[in-house]
Amino acid sequence: MTRILVVDDEPQILRALQTSLRGAGYEVDTATTGEQALTAAAVRPPDAVILDLVLPDRRGTDVARELRAWSAMPIIVLSVVGDEADKVAALDAGADDYVTKPFGVDELLARLRAALRRAEPSGEPVLEIGDLRIDFDAHAVAFDGRSVQLTPHEYALLTLLARNEGKLMTHQAILREVWGRAYADESHYLHVYVSQLRRKLEPDPARPRYILTEPGVGYRLVDPLRAS
Amino acid sequence: MKSPLRGPANVTEGLVGFLASAGAVVLVSAAIAVLDRWIPVLSLGVLYILAVMPVAVLWGLALASAVSVASMLAFNWFFLPPTHTFQLRDGANWAVLAVYLATAVVVSALAARARRRAELAEAREREAAARAAAELEAEALRRSDSLKTALLHAVSHDLRSPLTAIVAAASGLANPQVSLDEVDRRELVETIRIEAERLDRLVGNLLDLSRLRAGAVVPHPELWTVDDLVSRALDELGSRGDRVAVTFDEDAPPVEVDAAQLERVLVNLLDNALKFSDRSVELRVEADGDAVLLHVTDDGPGVADRDLVFEPFHSAGERRGAGLGLAIARGFAEANGARVWAEPSERGAHFVLELPVAARAPVVA
Repeated sequence: MTRILVVDDEPQILRALQTSLRGAGYEVDTATTGEQALTAAAVRPPDAVILDLVLPDRRGTDVARELRAWSAMPIIVLSVVGDEADKVAALDAGADDYVTKPFGVDELLARLRAALRRAEPSGEPVLEIGDLRIDFDAHAVAFDGRSVQLTPHEYALLTLLARNEGKLMTHQAILREVWGRAYADESHYLHVYVSQLRRKLEPDPARPRYILTEPGVGYRLVDPLRAS
Repeated sequence: MKSPLRGPANVTEGLVGFLASAGAVVLVSAAIAVLDRWIPVLSLGVLYILAVMPVAVLWGLALASAVSVASMLAFNWFFLPPTHTFQLRDGANWAVLAVYLATAVVVSALAARARRRAELAEAREREAAARAAAELEAEALRRSDSLKTALLHAVSHDLRSPLTAIVAAASGLANPQVSLDEVDRRELVETIRIEAERLDRLVGNLLDLSRLRAGAVVPHPELWTVDDLVSRALDELGSRGDRVAVTFDEDAPPVEVDAAQLERVLVNLLDNALKFSDRSVELRVEADGDAVLLHVTDDGPGVADRDLVFEPFHSAGERRGAGLGLAIARGFAEANGARVWAEPSERGAHFVLELPVAARAPVVA
Protein backbone atom coordinates (compact mmCIF):
# COMPACT_ATOMS: atom_id res chain seq x y z
CA MET A 1 0.00 0.00 0.00
CA THR A 2 1.24 3.48 -0.81
CA ARG A 3 2.23 5.33 2.34
CA ILE A 4 1.91 9.11 2.72
CA LEU A 5 3.48 11.19 5.49
CA VAL A 6 1.31 14.20 6.35
CA VAL A 7 3.03 17.04 8.25
CA ASP A 8 0.90 19.84 9.75
CA ASP A 9 0.67 21.20 13.27
CA GLU A 10 -3.06 21.99 13.10
CA PRO A 11 -4.64 18.88 14.65
CA GLN A 12 -7.95 19.28 12.82
CA ILE A 13 -6.33 19.70 9.41
CA LEU A 14 -4.17 16.69 10.15
CA ARG A 15 -7.21 14.65 11.17
CA ALA A 16 -9.26 15.62 8.10
CA LEU A 17 -6.38 14.80 5.74
CA GLN A 18 -5.59 11.56 7.49
CA THR A 19 -9.18 10.32 7.31
CA SER A 20 -9.68 11.40 3.69
CA LEU A 21 -6.37 9.99 2.45
CA ARG A 22 -7.01 6.71 4.25
CA GLY A 23 -10.43 6.61 2.63
CA ALA A 24 -8.77 7.12 -0.75
CA GLY A 25 -6.71 3.98 -0.19
CA TYR A 26 -3.45 5.37 1.18
CA GLU A 27 -1.70 4.42 4.37
CA VAL A 28 -1.07 7.59 6.39
CA ASP A 29 1.63 8.58 8.87
CA THR A 30 1.42 11.95 10.58
CA ALA A 31 3.82 14.43 12.15
CA THR A 32 3.17 17.79 13.79
CA THR A 33 6.68 19.26 13.77
CA GLY A 34 9.58 19.40 11.30
CA GLU A 35 11.71 17.34 13.66
CA GLN A 36 9.03 14.62 13.92
CA ALA A 37 8.62 14.63 10.15
CA LEU A 38 12.33 14.10 9.49
CA THR A 39 12.49 11.29 12.05
CA ALA A 40 9.33 9.61 10.73
CA ALA A 41 10.59 9.83 7.13
CA ALA A 42 13.93 8.34 8.12
CA VAL A 43 12.50 5.49 10.19
CA ARG A 44 9.79 4.50 7.69
CA PRO A 45 10.43 6.23 4.36
CA PRO A 46 7.02 7.14 2.88
CA ASP A 47 6.15 7.10 -0.82
CA ALA A 48 5.23 10.78 -0.69
CA VAL A 49 5.15 13.67 1.79
CA ILE A 50 2.48 16.32 2.25
CA LEU A 51 4.23 19.14 4.08
CA ASP A 52 2.86 22.33 5.59
CA LEU A 53 5.22 25.28 4.99
CA VAL A 54 4.61 26.75 8.45
CA LEU A 55 5.65 24.48 11.28
CA PRO A 56 6.25 25.37 14.93
CA ASP A 57 9.90 24.35 15.08
CA ARG A 58 11.28 25.03 11.62
CA ARG A 59 10.35 26.17 8.13
CA GLY A 60 8.72 23.66 5.82
CA THR A 61 11.18 24.74 3.12
CA ASP A 62 14.09 23.57 5.29
CA VAL A 63 12.37 20.25 5.96
CA ALA A 64 11.88 19.78 2.19
CA ARG A 65 15.56 20.56 1.59
CA GLU A 66 16.68 18.05 4.23
CA LEU A 67 14.40 15.33 2.88
CA ARG A 68 15.60 16.03 -0.64
CA ALA A 69 19.22 15.62 0.49
CA TRP A 70 18.76 11.87 0.81
CA SER A 71 15.52 10.94 -0.91
CA ALA A 72 13.69 11.46 -4.18
CA MET A 73 10.23 10.93 -2.60
CA PRO A 74 7.62 13.35 -3.99
CA ILE A 75 6.97 16.33 -1.68
CA ILE A 76 3.78 18.39 -1.95
CA VAL A 77 3.78 21.53 0.16
CA LEU A 78 0.73 23.25 1.66
CA SER A 79 0.98 27.01 1.36
CA VAL A 80 -1.26 30.03 1.66
CA VAL A 81 -2.36 32.63 -0.85
CA GLY A 82 0.08 35.48 -1.22
CA ASP A 83 3.17 33.57 -0.14
CA GLU A 84 4.53 33.31 -3.70
CA ALA A 85 8.11 33.75 -2.50
CA ASP A 86 7.67 30.90 -0.02
CA LYS A 87 6.22 28.65 -2.70
CA VAL A 88 9.13 29.32 -5.03
CA ALA A 89 11.62 28.78 -2.20
CA ALA A 90 9.99 25.45 -1.33
CA LEU A 91 9.97 24.32 -4.96
CA ASP A 92 13.60 25.35 -5.35
CA ALA A 93 14.40 23.44 -2.16
CA GLY A 94 13.12 20.28 -3.87
CA ALA A 95 9.37 20.23 -3.33
CA ASP A 96 7.49 18.81 -6.33
CA ASP A 97 4.27 20.76 -6.13
CA TYR A 98 2.07 22.84 -3.90
CA VAL A 99 -1.58 23.28 -3.06
CA THR A 100 -2.95 26.49 -1.64
CA LYS A 101 -5.00 26.54 1.57
CA PRO A 102 -7.87 26.08 1.80
CA PHE A 103 -7.91 23.19 -0.69
CA GLY A 104 -10.28 20.38 -1.49
CA VAL A 105 -9.28 16.76 -1.05
CA ASP A 106 -9.96 16.23 -4.79
CA GLU A 107 -7.25 18.69 -5.75
CA LEU A 108 -4.80 17.23 -3.26
CA LEU A 109 -5.48 13.68 -4.48
CA ALA A 110 -4.95 14.73 -8.12
CA ARG A 111 -1.63 16.40 -7.29
CA LEU A 112 -0.59 13.43 -5.21
CA ARG A 113 -1.41 10.93 -7.98
CA ALA A 114 0.53 13.01 -10.52
CA ALA A 115 3.52 13.25 -8.19
CA LEU A 116 3.50 9.51 -7.48
CA ARG A 117 3.20 8.75 -11.22
CA ARG A 118 6.23 10.91 -11.99
CA ALA A 119 8.19 9.19 -9.26
CA GLU A 120 7.99 5.92 -11.19
CA PRO A 121 10.77 5.99 -13.75
CA SER A 122 9.62 5.36 -17.33
CA GLY A 123 12.28 4.43 -19.81
CA GLU A 124 9.87 4.80 -22.71
CA PRO A 125 11.47 6.26 -25.84
CA VAL A 126 8.11 7.76 -26.81
CA LEU A 127 6.00 9.96 -24.55
CA GLU A 128 2.35 10.67 -25.26
CA ILE A 129 0.49 13.35 -23.36
CA GLY A 130 -2.96 13.97 -24.78
CA ASP A 131 -2.48 14.86 -28.46
CA LEU A 132 1.20 15.56 -27.90
CA ARG A 133 3.69 12.89 -28.95
CA ILE A 134 7.43 13.14 -28.35
CA ASP A 135 9.85 10.61 -29.83
CA PHE A 136 13.04 11.11 -27.82
CA ASP A 137 15.20 8.86 -30.02
CA ALA A 138 14.18 10.61 -33.23
CA HIS A 139 14.01 14.10 -31.60
CA ALA A 140 10.59 14.37 -33.23
CA VAL A 141 7.51 16.09 -31.92
CA ALA A 142 4.01 15.64 -33.28
CA PHE A 143 0.72 17.19 -32.24
CA ASP A 144 -2.56 15.58 -33.21
CA GLY A 145 -0.77 13.54 -35.87
CA ARG A 146 0.98 16.47 -37.62
CA SER A 147 4.72 16.92 -37.18
CA VAL A 148 5.88 20.08 -35.40
CA GLN A 149 9.21 21.78 -36.15
CA LEU A 150 10.95 23.05 -33.01
CA THR A 151 14.23 24.89 -32.46
CA PRO A 152 16.73 23.14 -30.15
CA HIS A 153 15.79 25.39 -27.18
CA GLU A 154 12.07 24.90 -27.79
CA TYR A 155 12.64 21.15 -27.95
CA ALA A 156 14.67 21.16 -24.74
CA LEU A 157 12.02 23.23 -22.99
CA LEU A 158 9.17 21.01 -24.17
CA THR A 159 10.90 17.75 -23.23
CA LEU A 160 11.81 19.09 -19.80
CA LEU A 161 8.17 20.03 -19.11
CA ALA A 162 6.87 16.79 -20.65
CA ARG A 163 9.22 14.56 -18.65
CA ASN A 164 7.84 16.32 -15.56
CA GLU A 165 4.22 16.09 -16.68
CA GLY A 166 1.90 17.67 -14.13
CA LYS A 167 4.78 18.99 -12.05
CA LEU A 168 5.13 22.68 -11.45
CA MET A 169 8.55 23.76 -12.69
CA THR A 170 9.84 27.09 -11.39
CA HIS A 171 11.21 29.69 -13.80
CA GLN A 172 14.65 29.29 -12.29
CA ALA A 173 14.65 25.50 -12.52
CA ILE A 174 13.62 25.61 -16.20
CA LEU A 175 16.13 28.31 -17.09
CA ARG A 176 18.93 26.42 -15.34
CA GLU A 177 18.08 23.16 -17.14
CA VAL A 178 17.52 24.53 -20.63
CA TRP A 179 19.73 27.62 -20.91
CA GLY A 180 22.28 27.00 -18.16
CA ARG A 181 23.03 28.38 -14.72
CA ALA A 182 24.06 31.84 -16.02
CA TYR A 183 20.53 32.44 -17.32
CA ALA A 184 18.70 31.51 -14.11
CA ASP A 185 17.30 35.04 -13.67
CA GLU A 186 16.42 35.77 -17.30
CA SER A 187 12.78 34.79 -17.05
CA HIS A 188 11.81 36.95 -20.06
CA TYR A 189 13.62 34.38 -22.29
CA LEU A 190 11.37 31.76 -20.87
CA HIS A 191 8.15 33.74 -21.43
CA VAL A 192 9.12 34.28 -25.08
CA TYR A 193 9.93 30.60 -25.68
CA VAL A 194 6.81 29.39 -23.91
CA SER A 195 4.60 31.60 -26.06
CA GLN A 196 6.39 30.34 -29.18
CA LEU A 197 5.84 26.75 -28.06
CA ARG A 198 2.19 27.45 -27.38
CA ARG A 199 1.75 28.95 -30.86
CA LYS A 200 3.23 25.80 -32.39
CA LEU A 201 1.41 23.26 -30.20
CA GLU A 202 -1.71 24.60 -28.58
CA PRO A 203 -4.94 24.52 -30.60
CA ASP A 204 -5.80 27.94 -29.09
CA PRO A 205 -2.55 29.62 -27.89
CA ALA A 206 -4.52 32.34 -26.10
CA ARG A 207 -6.20 29.71 -23.92
CA PRO A 208 -3.44 27.19 -23.33
CA ARG A 209 -4.51 23.74 -22.20
CA TYR A 210 -1.16 21.95 -22.21
CA ILE A 211 1.42 24.44 -20.97
CA LEU A 212 -0.17 26.20 -18.00
CA THR A 213 1.15 29.32 -16.32
CA GLU A 214 1.41 29.47 -12.54
CA PRO A 215 1.69 33.23 -12.09
CA GLY A 216 4.88 34.34 -10.42
CA VAL A 217 6.08 30.77 -9.96
CA GLY A 218 6.56 28.79 -13.16
CA TYR A 219 4.98 26.50 -15.73
CA ARG A 220 3.35 23.11 -15.70
CA LEU A 221 2.65 20.80 -18.66
CA VAL A 222 -0.53 18.80 -18.20
CA ASP A 223 -2.65 16.33 -20.08
CA PRO A 224 -5.86 18.33 -20.57
CA LEU A 225 -7.97 15.18 -20.51
CA ARG A 226 -6.49 13.83 -17.32
CA ALA A 227 -6.40 17.22 -15.62
CA SER A 228 -10.06 17.97 -16.09
CA MET B 1 17.43 88.23 6.21
CA LYS B 2 19.09 91.65 6.29
CA SER B 3 22.13 92.25 4.13
CA PRO B 4 24.79 94.52 5.68
CA LEU B 5 24.68 96.70 2.55
CA ARG B 6 20.94 97.13 2.48
CA GLY B 7 19.40 100.29 3.83
CA PRO B 8 16.28 100.68 6.00
CA ALA B 9 13.56 98.22 5.12
CA ASN B 10 10.58 100.62 4.88
CA VAL B 11 9.60 104.29 5.09
CA THR B 12 8.73 104.39 8.80
CA GLU B 13 11.88 102.56 9.72
CA GLY B 14 13.83 104.87 7.39
CA LEU B 15 12.34 107.99 9.01
CA VAL B 16 13.04 106.74 12.53
CA GLY B 17 16.59 105.85 11.42
CA PHE B 18 17.12 109.25 9.89
CA LEU B 19 15.85 111.13 12.97
CA ALA B 20 17.85 108.91 15.31
CA SER B 21 20.98 109.42 13.18
CA ALA B 22 20.53 113.18 13.13
CA GLY B 23 19.83 113.18 16.87
CA ALA B 24 22.91 111.07 17.52
CA VAL B 25 25.13 113.48 15.55
CA VAL B 26 23.62 116.49 17.38
CA LEU B 27 24.01 114.77 20.75
CA VAL B 28 27.67 113.86 20.17
CA SER B 29 28.36 117.37 18.82
CA ALA B 30 26.83 118.87 21.99
CA ALA B 31 28.88 116.51 24.17
CA ILE B 32 32.07 117.54 22.35
CA ALA B 33 31.14 121.19 22.79
CA VAL B 34 30.91 120.62 26.57
CA LEU B 35 34.03 118.40 26.87
CA ASP B 36 36.00 120.75 24.65
CA ARG B 37 36.92 122.84 27.70
CA TRP B 38 38.96 120.08 29.32
CA ILE B 39 40.08 117.78 26.49
CA PRO B 40 41.92 118.67 23.23
CA VAL B 41 39.28 118.83 20.52
CA LEU B 42 41.16 116.61 18.03
CA SER B 43 40.96 113.58 20.32
CA LEU B 44 37.24 114.21 20.94
CA GLY B 45 36.36 113.47 17.26
CA VAL B 46 36.48 109.80 18.19
CA LEU B 47 33.25 110.32 20.17
CA TYR B 48 31.29 110.37 16.87
CA ILE B 49 31.86 106.61 16.84
CA LEU B 50 29.21 106.57 19.60
CA ALA B 51 26.73 107.89 17.01
CA VAL B 52 27.93 105.72 14.12
CA MET B 53 27.96 102.41 16.01
CA PRO B 54 24.35 102.22 17.23
CA VAL B 55 23.13 103.39 13.82
CA ALA B 56 25.27 100.70 12.14
CA VAL B 57 23.93 98.01 14.42
CA LEU B 58 20.30 99.10 14.19
CA TRP B 59 19.92 100.36 10.60
CA GLY B 60 22.86 98.96 8.66
CA LEU B 61 25.73 100.23 6.58
CA ALA B 62 24.00 102.84 4.38
CA LEU B 63 22.73 105.01 7.23
CA ALA B 64 25.93 104.44 9.22
CA SER B 65 27.94 105.75 6.26
CA ALA B 66 25.68 108.81 6.07
CA VAL B 67 26.15 109.39 9.83
CA SER B 68 29.91 109.07 9.32
CA VAL B 69 29.87 111.76 6.64
CA ALA B 70 27.55 113.99 8.71
CA SER B 71 29.76 113.50 11.79
CA MET B 72 32.84 114.36 9.81
CA LEU B 73 31.21 117.55 8.42
CA ALA B 74 29.86 118.56 11.86
CA PHE B 75 33.24 118.02 13.47
CA ASN B 76 34.86 119.95 10.67
CA TRP B 77 32.38 122.84 10.84
CA PHE B 78 32.02 123.23 14.62
CA PHE B 79 35.29 122.16 16.18
CA LEU B 80 38.27 122.00 13.79
CA PRO B 81 39.97 125.39 13.91
CA PRO B 82 39.33 127.63 12.12
CA THR B 83 35.70 126.77 13.01
CA HIS B 84 32.61 127.53 10.86
CA THR B 85 34.48 126.72 7.66
CA PHE B 86 34.94 123.41 5.81
CA GLN B 87 38.58 122.43 5.40
CA LEU B 88 38.44 119.27 3.35
CA ARG B 89 42.15 119.24 2.64
CA ASP B 90 42.97 118.85 6.28
CA GLY B 91 44.73 115.46 6.73
CA ALA B 92 43.40 114.91 10.26
CA ASN B 93 39.89 115.49 9.00
CA TRP B 94 40.26 112.72 6.42
CA ALA B 95 41.70 110.37 8.98
CA VAL B 96 38.73 110.97 11.25
CA LEU B 97 36.35 110.27 8.37
CA ALA B 98 38.24 107.06 7.55
CA VAL B 99 37.99 105.88 11.16
CA TYR B 100 34.23 106.59 11.21
CA LEU B 101 33.61 104.75 7.96
CA ALA B 102 35.76 101.78 8.87
CA THR B 103 33.98 101.52 12.21
CA ALA B 104 30.61 101.72 10.50
CA VAL B 105 31.54 98.97 8.02
CA VAL B 106 33.01 96.61 10.60
CA VAL B 107 30.24 97.09 13.14
CA SER B 108 27.39 96.77 10.66
CA ALA B 109 28.97 93.69 9.11
CA LEU B 110 29.36 92.13 12.56
CA ALA B 111 25.81 93.07 13.48
CA ALA B 112 24.44 91.60 10.27
CA ARG B 113 26.36 88.42 10.86
CA ALA B 114 25.05 88.13 14.39
CA ARG B 115 21.53 88.72 13.09
CA ARG B 116 22.00 86.13 10.40
CA ARG B 117 23.24 83.61 12.96
CA ALA B 118 20.32 84.27 15.21
CA GLU B 119 17.93 83.88 12.30
CA LEU B 120 19.64 80.67 11.21
CA ALA B 121 19.46 79.25 14.71
CA GLU B 122 15.81 80.18 14.90
CA ALA B 123 15.12 78.57 11.53
CA ARG B 124 16.95 75.46 12.61
CA GLU B 125 14.93 75.33 15.77
CA ARG B 126 11.70 75.73 13.81
CA GLU B 127 12.81 73.06 11.37
CA ALA B 128 13.71 70.67 14.19
CA ALA B 129 10.33 71.26 15.79
CA ALA B 130 8.60 70.64 12.45
CA ARG B 131 10.67 67.52 11.90
CA ALA B 132 9.84 66.24 15.38
CA ALA B 133 6.14 66.84 14.70
CA ALA B 134 6.36 65.09 11.34
CA GLU B 135 8.17 62.16 12.91
CA LEU B 136 5.55 61.89 15.62
CA GLU B 137 2.87 61.80 12.96
CA ALA B 138 4.77 59.22 10.93
CA GLU B 139 5.26 57.10 14.03
CA ALA B 140 1.53 57.22 14.74
CA LEU B 141 0.84 56.25 11.13
CA ARG B 142 3.38 53.45 11.31
CA ARG B 143 1.83 52.18 14.49
CA SER B 144 -1.68 52.24 13.08
CA ASP B 145 -0.31 50.68 9.92
CA SER B 146 1.41 47.88 11.80
CA LEU B 147 -1.74 47.31 13.81
CA LYS B 148 -3.67 46.97 10.57
CA THR B 149 -1.03 44.62 9.18
CA ALA B 150 -1.11 42.56 12.35
CA LEU B 151 -4.89 42.47 12.18
CA LEU B 152 -4.84 41.36 8.55
CA HIS B 153 -2.21 38.75 9.22
CA ALA B 154 -3.91 37.43 12.33
CA VAL B 155 -7.31 37.34 10.72
CA SER B 156 -6.11 35.80 7.48
CA HIS B 157 -4.12 33.12 9.28
CA ASP B 158 -6.76 32.44 11.89
CA LEU B 159 -9.54 32.29 9.37
CA ARG B 160 -7.57 30.15 6.99
CA SER B 161 -6.61 27.35 9.36
CA PRO B 162 -10.16 26.44 10.37
CA LEU B 163 -11.33 27.00 6.79
CA THR B 164 -8.68 24.61 5.50
CA ALA B 165 -9.76 21.92 7.94
CA ILE B 166 -13.43 22.49 7.07
CA VAL B 167 -12.87 22.42 3.30
CA ALA B 168 -10.63 19.35 3.54
CA ALA B 169 -13.11 17.49 5.75
CA ALA B 170 -16.16 18.50 3.69
CA SER B 171 -14.53 17.64 0.35
CA GLY B 172 -13.36 14.34 1.83
CA LEU B 173 -16.95 13.57 2.79
CA ALA B 174 -18.18 14.51 -0.67
CA ASN B 175 -15.49 12.81 -2.74
CA PRO B 176 -16.70 9.49 -4.23
CA GLN B 177 -13.11 8.24 -4.51
CA VAL B 178 -12.79 8.46 -0.75
CA SER B 179 -14.53 5.53 0.89
CA LEU B 180 -15.34 6.19 4.53
CA ASP B 181 -16.78 4.04 7.26
CA GLU B 182 -19.14 5.38 9.89
CA VAL B 183 -16.32 6.27 12.31
CA ASP B 184 -14.40 8.21 9.63
CA ARG B 185 -17.52 10.03 8.60
CA ARG B 186 -18.26 11.04 12.19
CA GLU B 187 -14.66 12.21 12.60
CA LEU B 188 -14.84 14.45 9.56
CA VAL B 189 -18.17 15.90 10.65
CA GLU B 190 -16.69 16.48 14.11
CA THR B 191 -13.76 18.33 12.54
CA ILE B 192 -16.13 20.56 10.63
CA ARG B 193 -18.09 21.31 13.81
CA ILE B 194 -15.01 22.05 15.94
CA GLU B 195 -13.46 24.31 13.33
CA ALA B 196 -16.71 26.13 12.64
CA GLU B 197 -16.93 26.88 16.37
CA ARG B 198 -13.35 28.14 16.26
CA LEU B 199 -14.27 30.48 13.43
CA ASP B 200 -17.25 31.65 15.43
CA ARG B 201 -15.03 32.36 18.44
CA LEU B 202 -12.63 34.37 16.30
CA VAL B 203 -15.41 36.46 14.82
CA GLY B 204 -16.81 36.98 18.34
CA ASN B 205 -13.37 38.08 19.58
CA LEU B 206 -12.97 40.56 16.75
CA LEU B 207 -16.38 42.02 17.48
CA ASP B 208 -15.60 42.22 21.21
CA LEU B 209 -12.33 43.95 20.51
CA SER B 210 -13.91 46.53 18.25
CA ARG B 211 -16.64 47.18 20.82
CA LEU B 212 -14.04 47.60 23.57
CA ARG B 213 -11.99 49.91 21.36
CA ALA B 214 -15.04 51.98 20.56
CA GLY B 215 -15.90 52.21 24.26
CA ALA B 216 -19.24 50.57 23.53
CA VAL B 217 -19.04 48.01 26.34
CA VAL B 218 -21.56 48.85 29.06
CA PRO B 219 -21.58 46.36 31.95
CA HIS B 220 -24.84 45.39 33.65
CA PRO B 221 -23.56 44.44 37.10
CA GLU B 222 -25.44 41.93 39.24
CA LEU B 223 -24.53 39.99 42.34
CA TRP B 224 -22.84 36.69 41.55
CA THR B 225 -20.91 34.11 43.50
CA VAL B 226 -17.49 33.36 42.11
CA ASP B 227 -18.45 29.67 41.95
CA ASP B 228 -21.26 30.53 39.52
CA LEU B 229 -18.95 32.59 37.34
CA VAL B 230 -16.41 29.79 37.23
CA SER B 231 -18.94 27.11 36.31
CA ARG B 232 -20.38 29.33 33.56
CA ALA B 233 -16.88 29.67 32.12
CA LEU B 234 -16.20 25.93 32.34
CA ASP B 235 -19.53 25.24 30.62
CA GLU B 236 -18.55 27.56 27.83
CA LEU B 237 -15.22 25.74 27.37
CA GLY B 238 -17.07 22.43 26.87
CA SER B 239 -14.94 19.31 26.85
CA ARG B 240 -11.77 21.37 26.93
CA GLY B 241 -12.84 22.54 30.37
CA ASP B 242 -12.22 19.02 31.68
CA ARG B 243 -8.52 19.82 31.78
CA VAL B 244 -9.07 22.67 34.26
CA ALA B 245 -8.46 21.72 37.92
CA VAL B 246 -10.49 24.12 40.08
CA THR B 247 -9.88 24.93 43.77
CA PHE B 248 -12.66 27.03 45.34
CA ASP B 249 -12.44 29.16 48.47
CA GLU B 250 -15.50 28.81 50.68
CA ASP B 251 -14.89 32.26 52.19
CA ALA B 252 -15.02 34.02 48.84
CA PRO B 253 -17.72 36.72 49.10
CA PRO B 254 -20.07 37.49 46.19
CA VAL B 255 -19.01 39.99 43.54
CA GLU B 256 -21.00 42.52 41.56
CA VAL B 257 -20.15 42.18 37.91
CA ASP B 258 -21.64 41.65 34.45
CA ALA B 259 -21.65 37.85 34.35
CA ALA B 260 -21.56 37.55 30.57
CA GLN B 261 -18.57 39.84 30.34
CA LEU B 262 -16.75 38.22 33.25
CA GLU B 263 -17.37 34.86 31.61
CA ARG B 264 -15.50 36.15 28.55
CA VAL B 265 -12.61 37.20 30.79
CA LEU B 266 -12.38 33.80 32.47
CA VAL B 267 -12.91 31.82 29.27
CA ASN B 268 -10.18 33.79 27.50
CA LEU B 269 -7.74 33.37 30.41
CA LEU B 270 -8.43 29.63 30.61
CA ASP B 271 -8.43 29.26 26.82
CA ASN B 272 -5.02 30.90 26.69
CA ALA B 273 -3.66 28.60 29.42
CA LEU B 274 -5.12 25.47 27.76
CA LYS B 275 -3.59 26.49 24.44
CA PHE B 276 -0.10 26.65 25.89
CA SER B 277 -0.20 23.62 28.12
CA ASP B 278 -0.76 19.98 27.26
CA ARG B 279 -1.47 19.01 30.84
CA SER B 280 -4.07 20.28 33.26
CA VAL B 281 -4.51 23.96 33.96
CA GLU B 282 -5.08 25.19 37.49
CA LEU B 283 -7.75 27.70 38.51
CA ARG B 284 -7.52 28.70 42.17
CA VAL B 285 -10.00 31.04 43.88
CA GLU B 286 -8.69 33.05 46.83
CA ALA B 287 -10.56 35.52 49.08
CA ASP B 288 -8.29 38.46 49.79
CA GLY B 289 -9.92 41.17 51.93
CA ASP B 290 -11.91 43.48 49.66
CA ALA B 291 -11.20 41.41 46.61
CA VAL B 292 -11.45 37.89 45.25
CA LEU B 293 -8.41 36.67 43.35
CA LEU B 294 -8.65 34.03 40.64
CA HIS B 295 -5.27 32.51 39.78
CA VAL B 296 -4.91 30.78 36.42
CA THR B 297 -1.66 28.86 36.08
CA ASP B 298 -0.31 26.59 33.35
CA ASP B 299 2.95 24.77 32.73
CA GLY B 300 3.47 26.12 29.22
CA PRO B 301 6.39 28.21 28.00
CA GLY B 302 5.42 31.17 30.21
CA VAL B 303 5.11 34.85 29.42
CA ALA B 304 8.04 36.73 27.88
CA ASP B 305 6.71 40.25 28.46
CA ARG B 306 4.07 40.62 31.14
CA ASP B 307 2.67 43.86 29.66
CA LEU B 308 3.02 43.18 25.97
CA VAL B 309 1.06 39.96 26.35
CA PHE B 310 -2.12 42.03 26.84
CA GLU B 311 -1.60 44.02 23.63
CA PRO B 312 -4.01 43.00 20.86
CA PHE B 313 -2.44 40.97 18.03
CA HIS B 314 0.50 40.14 20.20
CA SER B 315 0.71 36.40 19.66
CA ALA B 316 3.30 34.02 21.06
CA GLY B 317 3.66 32.23 17.77
CA GLU B 318 2.42 31.79 14.25
CA ARG B 319 0.13 28.98 15.29
CA ARG B 320 -1.02 30.21 18.67
CA GLY B 321 -3.91 32.32 17.53
CA ALA B 322 -4.63 35.90 16.69
CA GLY B 323 -3.42 37.28 20.01
CA LEU B 324 -6.81 38.75 20.90
CA GLY B 325 -7.94 36.73 23.92
CA LEU B 326 -5.91 38.40 26.66
CA ALA B 327 -6.47 41.90 25.28
CA ILE B 328 -10.20 41.26 25.36
CA ALA B 329 -9.98 39.72 28.85
CA ARG B 330 -8.29 42.85 30.17
CA GLY B 331 -10.76 45.13 28.36
CA PHE B 332 -13.83 43.43 29.84
CA ALA B 333 -12.23 43.14 33.28
CA GLU B 334 -11.46 46.85 33.43
CA ALA B 335 -14.95 47.74 32.21
CA ASN B 336 -16.20 45.85 35.29
CA GLY B 337 -13.83 47.44 37.80
CA ALA B 338 -11.73 44.28 37.88
CA ARG B 339 -8.05 43.87 37.05
CA VAL B 340 -6.05 41.26 35.15
CA TRP B 341 -2.30 40.95 35.21
CA ALA B 342 0.48 38.43 34.69
CA GLU B 343 2.47 37.46 37.77
CA PRO B 344 6.16 36.68 37.48
CA SER B 345 6.45 32.91 37.45
CA GLU B 346 9.30 30.43 37.55
CA ARG B 347 7.68 28.01 35.15
CA GLY B 348 4.59 28.36 32.99
CA ALA B 349 2.34 31.40 33.05
CA HIS B 350 0.47 32.79 36.05
CA PHE B 351 -2.42 35.19 35.42
CA VAL B 352 -4.46 36.81 38.17
CA LEU B 353 -7.99 38.17 37.88
CA GLU B 354 -8.91 40.46 40.77
CA LEU B 355 -12.65 40.98 41.32
CA PRO B 356 -13.77 43.70 43.74
CA VAL B 357 -16.18 42.45 46.39
CA ALA B 358 -19.78 43.68 46.09
CA ALA B 359 -20.45 46.87 48.07
CA ARG B 360 -24.03 45.99 48.97
CA ALA B 361 -24.85 43.08 51.21
CA PRO B 362 -25.77 39.85 49.45
CA VAL B 363 -29.37 38.75 49.58
CA VAL B 364 -29.38 35.44 51.36
CA ALA B 365 -31.80 33.04 49.82
